[in-house]
Amino acid sequence: MEQLIGNNLASVAGFRPELVLTFGSIALLVLDLVLRRSRSRRALLAGAAVIVLGLAAVLLAAQSTASTPLFNGMIASDAFATFFKWIFLAAGFLTVLIVAQGDDYPSPRVGEFYGLLLAVVLGMFLMASATNLLTIYMSIELVSMVSYVLAGFRKSDRKAAEASLKYVIYGSVASGVMLFGMSYLYGLLGTFDVLAFAPKIAELSATTGAAGAATKLALVVAVVFVSSGVGYKIASVPWHMWCPDVYEGAPTPFTAFLSVGPKAAGFALALRFFLGSFAGPMGANGMAESIAGIPWPAVIGVLSAVTMTLGNLTAIAQTNLKRLLAYSSIAHAGYTLMGLATLSALGMQGVMIYMLIYLVMNLGAFLVVIVVAEATGSESIFDYSGLVHRHPLAAIAFGIFLFSLTGLPPFAGFTGKWYLFYAVIERASGPAGFWYGALAVVGALNTAVSLYYYARIIRAMFLEAPHVTDRVAPKLGYQLMLGAFSAAILVFGIWWAPIVEWSQRSMVMLRG
Amino acid sequence: MPRKIVIWVVLAALVVTFVGVLGARMAEGAVLPEIILGPLGLTDALFYLFAAMTFAGAATVALSKNILHSALGLLAALMGTGSLYVFLSADFLAVTQLLVYIGGVLVLILFAVMLTNRITEVKISNASLGLVGGGALLVATVPVLVFVAIATPWATIVPAELAPTTREIGNAFLTRWLLPFELASLVLLATLIGAVVIARKELKQDEPDTSVS
Repeated sequence: MEQLIGNNLASVAGFRPELVLTFGSIALLVLDLVLRRSRSRRALLAGAAVIVLGLAAVLLAAQSTASTPLFNGMIASDAFATFFKWIFLAAGFLTVLIVAQGDDYPSPRVGEFYGLLLAVVLGMFLMASATNLLTIYMSIELVSMVSYVLAGFRKSDRKAAEASLKYVIYGSVASGVMLFGMSYLYGLLGTFDVLAFAPKIAELSATTGAAGAATKLALVVAVVFVSSGVGYKIASVPWHMWCPDVYEGAPTPFTAFLSVGPKAAGFALALRFFLGSFAGPMGANGMAESIAGIPWPAVIGVLSAVTMTLGNLTAIAQTNLKRLLAYSSIAHAGYTLMGLATLSALGMQGVMIYMLIYLVMNLGAFLVVIVVAEATGSESIFDYSGLVHRHPLAAIAFGIFLFSLTGLPPFAGFTGKWYLFYAVIERASGPAGFWYGALAVVGALNTAVSLYYYARIIRAMFLEAPHVTDRVAPKLGYQLMLGAFSAAILVFGIWWAPIVEWSQRSMVMLRG
Repeated sequence: MPRKIVIWVVLAALVVTFVGVLGARMAEGAVLPEIILGPLGLTDALFYLFAAMTFAGAATVALSKNILHSALGLLAALMGTGSLYVFLSADFLAVTQLLVYIGGVLVLILFAVMLTNRITEVKISNASLGLVGGGALLVATVPVLVFVAIATPWATIVPAELAPTTREIGNAFLTRWLLPFELASLVLLATLIGAVVIARKELKQDEPDTSVS
């Protein structure tokens, strides 16, 4: 017991960014009350949130990225988790900047928003580093519970209330199914420790006869059920139904956050869970094999193909931009799942790079939606006609984001997609290569489909005449952010070496 | 209606007595008496009784057209689960289940149900939707799950002598499982704050920024 306590105490040294987020979140809620009557309350609260995130960033940068288990194996501190933690900090930081300038969250309520947002960031930190079924579940719940609230923040808005309720119902079902799957895993393997799964599964699969068949089936059922919790976070089919309604109903800055933060956290969790416990170590050629021949890569591959196809085909018919981007984000979850299905170092790197680039381009796309909605009060695609005449910067930036989302060179989205496709094609010459080849073809066809509906927006913005001629005048801060996002997309579309090197360095994951 | 209520009350009293008596006996470190009822021992018979009760309760929750009956079905399901915890030698968990779920959560649910407007209209309160899809899902999953449940060699632990678990649970919470324990309290705190945020009075649209809400 002394040893357990000693480990807990020693682990605090590797847990400092999380501690800052915890106490920062609570401090913000208190500060919200202190600054109740302050005139510059909005700016002060945003500043405080930025300070907390900045402090967490400093401590994260100071922290060693050596792979160590913390808190008796509850979470892991490693380079992989650190990579995703930077994504979450960036998502939180950019969301704070967007919210600080907008009026989606009214001033009397904005303090609570920041406090709860920091709690979500903390939950995502833990999702990326959880190595125990209990911490996996708890971190997912922390992110979900707070997300329900933040999505339904505007009570008077019927759509937001409906979105929030749908989110709660789908979320509870998904986490219930996940818990059931976890109970199977515990019943089969007798441990909560994800890192200890692999040897136990290998041992179990040696049983033969009816018991062996049942064990294999139970493992597959358990994996499918557990992946429902993850699939719900990344909005993959068949757990995507909440996504369009919630994205449309939630206040747009939070939608933007939801589409990049929790999605990346879900992928981090999935990578660690599947590659860490259901796959052997990666060989010299950077490929791993699934443990005991459990066909989870095939399941993920099928899910990936269905997810991207459904997302893209449904997006074609959308006229509300937020709904369209919601379906597009489902499609992107499908693309990214390809990286998981390949079960290789390249695929893992592809997921990491894609999530990083997706953060910038999708936040940027939603920022344009916010800018236009503030000026016209509409999210319909018809109000984007002739945007280039009314606000050239927003139109050009949106064009860049949409081309990047399609994955065309020379935009950063191309880099991300290239790595994902490359990982799939690398597999196409090996065993089961036909299926990987088919997956790559489906992905390529989907990219073509997505070009169609992205180009529809671009045509509306650039080629159609505006219905109204008054100019959109976005705030300076928005303009700066749009400019910075576009620049980042262009720069990293051409000069991707830093991203690739960083992700390469961050592929070290704690293993059992 | 009165007869139903009598049945419910008797059932509830049975479970509470069972959990209470067993909890007390376990605290003393006693072993269950081995009384044989035909092929089943007393323990087995009790187990099946409580399992049936849990199942019937859960079925009522899902199938009843009256939401009040659903809430009461939940009561039966939760009490049944609490009794099953006793069979797993989890005395603390069983009592907590009684206190928290039945004493707290369920009463709150009943309040919420009864205070909700127009709840008596079945269409609003408890409509059954998507029967075809649900049925298909049922047909697809039940054989798999039943086969898995029966044929799998689950990792089992032979329970030690019945002993109070509270001390071990307390130690486990504050040593090995410290992080999840603290995380759970954080989840609850965040949910609490979230509930307040959602539930409180809506702002008027054009209230000035510095106003007190």
